[in-house]
Amino acid sequence: MLQSVFLAAAETIVPACVALSGAHREALLRIPLHALRSRPVMMRRQLAILLWVIECSALPRWGSVFTRLDAAARDRHLRWFQDCPFELLRKGFWGLKVLVYMGYYGQPDLAARCGYAVTKSGNEMLHG
Amino acid sequence: MDKDIDIVIIGSGAGGGACASALAPLVAQGLKVAVLEWGPEFRDAEFTGRELEMAERLYFDGGGVLTKDKSMTLAFCKAYGGSTVVYTGTTLPIAVDTVERWGVPGLQHGDLILRSRKYALQNNVHALEGHLINENNRLFERGCKRLGWCVEQFPLNLKGCQGSGLCNLGCPNAAKQGTHRVQLPAARRAGVEVVTRCRVSSIDVRTRRISARVEACDGVGLPSAWAPGEYRIRADAVIVAAGAVNSPAILLRSGLGAALPALGGYFTCHPALILAGVHGRKISNYHGHPKSFFCDEFAARKRFLLETCMYFPFTTAKNLAGFGQEHESMMADFSKLQMILALALDDALRDNRVSLGRDGEPIVDYRLTEATLFSLVESMRAAARVMFAAGAASVHAPAGRDFSIPRSTEISLDDLINARYFKQGKVSISAAHLMGGCRMGKDASDSVTDSWGQVHGFPWLFVADASLFPKCAEINPYLTIMAMADRVAEAVAARHSEIKKVNNLAYA
Repeated sequence: MLQSVFLAAAETIVPACVALSGAHREALLRIPLHALRSRPVMMRRQLAILLWVIECSALPRWGSVFTRLDAAARDRHLRWFQDCPFELLRKGFWGLKVLVYMGYYGQPDLAARCGYAVTKSGNEMLHG
Repeated sequence: MDKDIDIVIIGSGAGGGACASALAPLVAQGLKVAVLEWGPEFRDAEFTGRELEMAERLYFDGGGVLTKDKSMTLAFCKAYGGSTVVYTGTTLPIAVDTVERWGVPGLQHGDLILRSRKYALQNNVHALEGHLINENNRLFERGCKRLGWCVEQFPLNLKGCQGSGLCNLGCPNAAKQGTHRVQLPAARRAGVEVVTRCRVSSIDVRTRRISARVEACDGVGLPSAWAPGEYRIRADAVIVAAGAVNSPAILLRSGLGAALPALGGYFTCHPALILAGVHGRKISNYHGHPKSFFCDEFAARKRFLLETCMYFPFTTAKNLAGFGQEHESMMADFSKLQMILALALDDALRDNRVSLGRDGEPIVDYRLTEATLFSLVESMRAAARVMFAAGAASVHAPAGRDFSIPRSTEISLDDLINARYFKQGKVSISAAHLMGGCRMGKDASDSVTDSWGQVHGFPWLFVADASLFPKCAEINPYLTIMAMADRVAEAVAARHSEIKKVNNLAYA
């Protein structure tokens, strides 16, 4: 369940995730999981709780759990977390965003879609 | 395994590297000098420039060490060369006003400047030639000049820079003159032993024995000079130069917290925000050296600095506030982005401190004061003005009311970037200039060391890194760290025979 909430959140945070192929989609999950492995167990638990809260808190607000909402409602739901009055939830949501960005922009070929084409000889590219 | 070494330096960054080279001549006199470095030594080919891979290899927690309340991330490095492997090489001497504000008896600005010059020379510090400065930097310069603000070029410690723009991931062209390129190789040639993958846990201050563990090679980087395993290293003199987080942690684990109440306290870090401006055309931004100019127009009045910067896609994405379509659109315009780093010059407070968790690992308890928040808000307004003056069509400020501030609303900047939108947890705050925790001072009531880095009450124990700074440096700190470490090395060299005599008596 938590994996589907993470993916639904990822598609809201980076809308391009919706169109990701199998390998990119797999990496979107694998990269943050790898990063979390070296962090304290408590952090993983906190993420799991946050994902559960995101999923369930949509029900009273929107009449459906988060994963079953349409894209616009998901966006509105997550914006509440981003700006919510509880600092703890804001920080938790910030952490979730970081993991999604890591999973997406941490993939070199997806980062390249932004036009990022780094080279060791950058000076040669400075003047056309 | 037991070892006996005359002088042990813990850490190989700006402080440890400077000490190693300054003390290297003692090897010719028959002394054993060793550097113990937690991280590995990487081969040149292992600096791949791949963002996540290098961040994981080089930085603690991939560059995202969280403060206790999770409101800020700290970036610092473990590797042969410490954080000098990942800085941008910006080299500024400390200002006379700052040293006066520090108010450490016996610490003179003139002395630090003389020592800074020595290291600037060693590190080939010079201003980048004009044709190697990219548009991201030129736009900053232009914006500041149009506003009539002071803007200066950073001197850089480079040799053969090819403009990869990957400084913060370790230069893939071996151009940056960190301690891993200059001081450590020189020290090794003179006979100093450098032991990588060696983590020091504590020092037994009664017997002067260091407890350390050498890890086996995990396939990346060179193996350690010592076999994997636990070590107890007896030393006549110990210099702790493990950085502003790990130096206080080592001394706290060594049981010095009770004797030195200031230990761990007065941590400062120049909390920073990244602003991005979108131009109507592609600009050269991630090609070329990323950091050529700074503006200290407001350092005295509003306590902030502006610097050029350019980050990698993931780092950029996480530092922009917001998400969804607007965020994705800005990222899609990556090659049109101008970036500015806004740094607050934060106060040194006793309660902003490094302490130990139940597992003995360091925890950084840091809270932003009202004054620092004010500086950050003002810095965002100033950075936005620079970008608009340089021609940006819109600006993203992390604590802006809206994700994007269009040029047409520039007149309302003070309303659009305002403290009421600065929500901790929403805004990404990061810091890479970590200072304090073992501050210099007069006595043990309010400091950890004297002005020569000697820990109060322990004539054989020294500190030589940014943790010595009693207040923030107000500039990029590495050159000052080297100058301070040079003083410490001088004190160790001068006092070594005396220390050895006292130690032998105590031992007998």
